[in-house]
Amino acid sequence: MNARPVSLKRRLALWLTAIVAGLGTLLLIEAYTSAHKAADRALDGQLAAASLTMAESLQWPDGQPTLEMPASALQILATQWQERVFYWLQADNGRLITRNAELPISATMRDAASHHPVFYDADLDGVPIRLHGREIDSAGWDTQEPVQLWVGHTRRGRDLLAGELFEKSASRFAAMVLITAALLMIAVRALLAPLERLRRALRDRHPDDVEPLDLEVPREMREWVDTLNRLLADQRDRRATLLRFIADASHQLKTPLAGLQSTSELALASPDPAAWRRALDEVHDSASRTSRLAGQMLSLTRLRHLGPDQERQPLALDTLLRAVVMEWADRQESRDHDLGLALECALPAWVAGESWALHELLNNLIDNACRYTPHGSQITVALRDLSPDRLELSIEDDGPGVETAARERLTRPFERGQRQDTEGSGLGLAIVDSIARRHGSPLEVSAVSPHGLRLSLTLMRLAPPEADSDTHTPDSGERA
Amino acid sequence: MSRRYRKLAATLTRVCLCLGMGFGMGLGASPAVAEPLIVEAALDRPVFQPVLDAFSAEYPQITLDYRERSTLEADRRARDAENPPDVVISSAMPWQLALSNEGRAQALDSVEAQQWPAWAKWRNEVFGFTFEPVVMAYRLELASHMPPPTTHRDLLDLLTDYRDWLRGRVVTYSPRDSGVGYTLLQQDARYTPRIWDLVAAMGAADVDLAQDTQAMLEGLSDGRYWLGYNLLGSYAMVWAQSHPDIIVQVPNDYSLVLMRMAFVHRDAPHPQAARRFVDFLLSRRGQRILAGSTPLFSVRDDVIGPYTAQRLRDQVGDHLYPIPINATLLAFVDPLRRQAFLRRWDRELNILSE
Repeated sequence: MNARPVSLKRRLALWLTAIVAGLGTLLLIEAYTSAHKAADRALDGQLAAASLTMAESLQWPDGQPTLEMPASALQILATQWQERVFYWLQADNGRLITRNAELPISATMRDAASHHPVFYDADLDGVPIRLHGREIDSAGWDTQEPVQLWVGHTRRGRDLLAGELFEKSASRFAAMVLITAALLMIAVRALLAPLERLRRALRDRHPDDVEPLDLEVPREMREWVDTLNRLLADQRDRRATLLRFIADASHQLKTPLAGLQSTSELALASPDPAAWRRALDEVHDSASRTSRLAGQMLSLTRLRHLGPDQERQPLALDTLLRAVVMEWADRQESRDHDLGLALECALPAWVAGESWALHELLNNLIDNACRYTPHGSQITVALRDLSPDRLELSIEDDGPGVETAARERLTRPFERGQRQDTEGSGLGLAIVDSIARRHGSPLEVSAVSPHGLRLSLTLMRLAPPEADSDTHTPDSGERA
Repeated sequence: MSRRYRKLAATLTRVCLCLGMGFGMGLGASPAVAEPLIVEAALDRPVFQPVLDAFSAEYPQITLDYRERSTLEADRRARDAENPPDVVISSAMPWQLALSNEGRAQALDSVEAQQWPAWAKWRNEVFGFTFEPVVMAYRLELASHMPPPTTHRDLLDLLTDYRDWLRGRVVTYSPRDSGVGYTLLQQDARYTPRIWDLVAAMGAADVDLAQDTQAMLEGLSDGRYWLGYNLLGSYAMVWAQSHPDIIVQVPNDYSLVLMRMAFVHRDAPHPQAARRFVDFLLSRRGQRILAGSTPLFSVRDDVIGPYTAQRLRDQVGDHLYPIPINATLLAFVDPLRRQAFLRRWDRELNILSE
C-alpha cells in the first residue's frame, strides 16, 4: 500500500474545521438558547408591567375585589408585535373576577404564584403563550380578599426578537470564523516558509556538496538543521578518510611497483645472467611484499564494511592467546625478541568474540611489535582483570616508543610512527583498531616508562558456558 | 424507430397538450363551479351595494351571500362554531378586535394587506377599511331658536341654556343596546371626563336613546327630535342630501372617526373567496368605489372621489380622531369594565333630575 503523503496544510485545515464545527455547534446552541432567554427577559418585563398596571386599578369596594380594566395595560401586554393578549383574575376564594380567555392555569401554577411572581410557558388551543402570574394583597379598612392576577400573550415578538438576536450572533460568529480562517491561512503559510526554504536549499544542493547548511530558521527547526549539519560533517569526514585512504593506498602500491619497474629495467639492460637472477630475487621479494600489502588493505576494507556483531561466539581468550604466542615463538620474525605471555586474570577468560578477527588482531599486534622494536626487545602479551566483568588485553614492549603527537595517529592506515625503516604495510594497527572497535573498545595507545609502547583494549568477560569445559580452543568458536 | 415516427409522436403529444389546456381553461372560466361566500356584516346593504356589485362583476364565479346584521348579532354569528361565516364586517371595533384576539381571524399575507396602513389594521387580521366621522345632526328649525352647536361645548351650553326647549327632543346612541354607541361614548370618555357633564345635561333634557343612526335620522326627519349626538357621518350625510331640513355638523373641536373592520374568519368555509373579498375591499378598485359611490370614505391616499379620508381632512381640518385600532379597545369589551361604565352612564344620566 502506498499511502499518500499527508499535507501539513490540509491537516491543519482539517483540525481547524473540526474545532470550528465542534465549537461552532456548541456556540450556536448557546447563542440560540441565550437569544431566547434574552427575548424572554425583555418581554417578561412587559408582562410584569402590564400586571402591575392592572393591579393598580384593582379595587375592593365593600371588601369585594373588582377591576376596571385599564386600557393601557392591554396595550403594554400586546407589545409592538401586536400579540394576542390574555388576562385572568380570580379571588382567593375561587370566585372569578374577570378574564378574557380560559387560560391553562393549573393548581400548581396557582400555588407557586401565591408565593411569588412566576412566569410560565403554556399552550392555549395549540398556540404557545407566555404567562405571568402573581398574587395581589392589599390593606384596607375591612378584610380584603387577595386576588390572583394572571396575564399572558402569544410568543410572536419573542420568536422574532430571539431570531433577530440569534441571527446577529450567528453572523458575528460566521464573520469571526472567516477572519480566523484567513488569518490562519496566512499564518500557516508564514510558519511553513522556513520548511520550504530548507527543502529548496537541500534540493538545490550539488550531490558532492557536504558543506554545512547556512539558513535562517526558527528555534524549533534549529535542532534538526544542526543534526543535518552534523550528519553532513560526518559525511565530510568519512569522505576525507576514504580519499586519504585511496591516496595512501595508491602511494603505497606505487612505491613497490616503481621498484619492480626499475629493477627489471636494470636487469634487462645487463647482459649478465647473474644480474638477472638477482633482479628476479628482488622482484620476487617485492611482489610478495606488495601482495601482503594488498591482502592487508583488503582485510581492513572488509573489516570496515562488515556489519557489527556478525558472528560473535563465546571463546576462551586465554587459550587463544596461548596458541598464538606459541605459534609466534617458533617464527623467524620473533627470533631476536623476547616474547612473553602474562595471564594475570581469573581463568578461564571467556569473552564473546569473532575467533578469526581476534586471531588477526593478535597476529597484527605481535607482528607490529616485532617489526618496530630493535632486536632483543622484550615483548609481553598480557591479559588481566580490570574488574570482575572486564578484561584488558595488552601488548607492551621496551622499544623506543612513539612520540606523543604521533601516537594519536598510530591507528590510521599507513602510519608507521614516523619510521621509514621497516617493511610493514602501515595497516596493522588500523586493522587492530577496527577489530577492537568491533568488539566494543577502541585501541588504547600509551607510553611505557622509561621507554616503550603499550597497546591495550578492553573486552567484556562472559560467564563460562555451562556445558563446555576448559578444554575449549579458539577452533571451537570457528566450528560453531 | 425511425426519426419520422418520433417526430410524428412529438407532434401528436403537443396537440394533445394544447387540447387539454384548452379544456382546462374552459372549465376554469365556467360559471358552473360557483363559489359561495358568506359575509356577516353590520353595514347597511343599500349603502354598501355599489361595492358588492363591483365585487360580483369582478368575480362572477363567487356567489355572495351578504347578511346584514346588527353589530351584536354579527359578533354572535362570528362566535358560532357550527356555522362560521367567511367574512365578518362590523363597526363595533372592540368586538372585532376581541374576535381577533380570541384567534377567530386569520392573517392575510396579500400585497394589499401588507401595504395597508399600520394604524388601520391589527395583526394583519382585522382591517379598518372605512373612515366614518362621528357627527351631530339637527333640524334646520333649531337654528331659528338658538345658535346651532359646532362643538361639544356648544352642545353642553345649548342643553343647559335651552333645556326646556330641547326636553325630549335630543337623541343619541344607547350605549347599552348598541355596540357602536358604547364604543363612541367610551372613546369620548377617554378623551375628556367632561363628557359626563354632557351626559348629565342630556339626561336632564330627557334624552331619547336609539339603537342605530338610521332611527335617529328618521326621528329627526319626523320632527320628533331636533338634535342628535354621535351619529355615523356616513349615513347622516347621505340622509341630509335627500332631507334638506337636516343639518349635519362635524364637531369643530374634535370628531371621532369610526372604522368598519373586516376580517376573514379562521374557520371560513370558503377561505379563497373570503380572502379575495377582503383584498378587494382594501384594493384600489374597491376603495375607489367606496370613495365614489358610498359615503363610507376611503382610507387610501391614492384614491380620488368625493368620499375620501384625505378630502374630509381638507374640509373639516385636522381634528379628526380615528378610534385607535390596538389592544386598548379590548378593555372596552371586558364585562367588568362595561358594567362599571354602564353603571356610571345610568348614574350620570339621572344625576340632574334628582
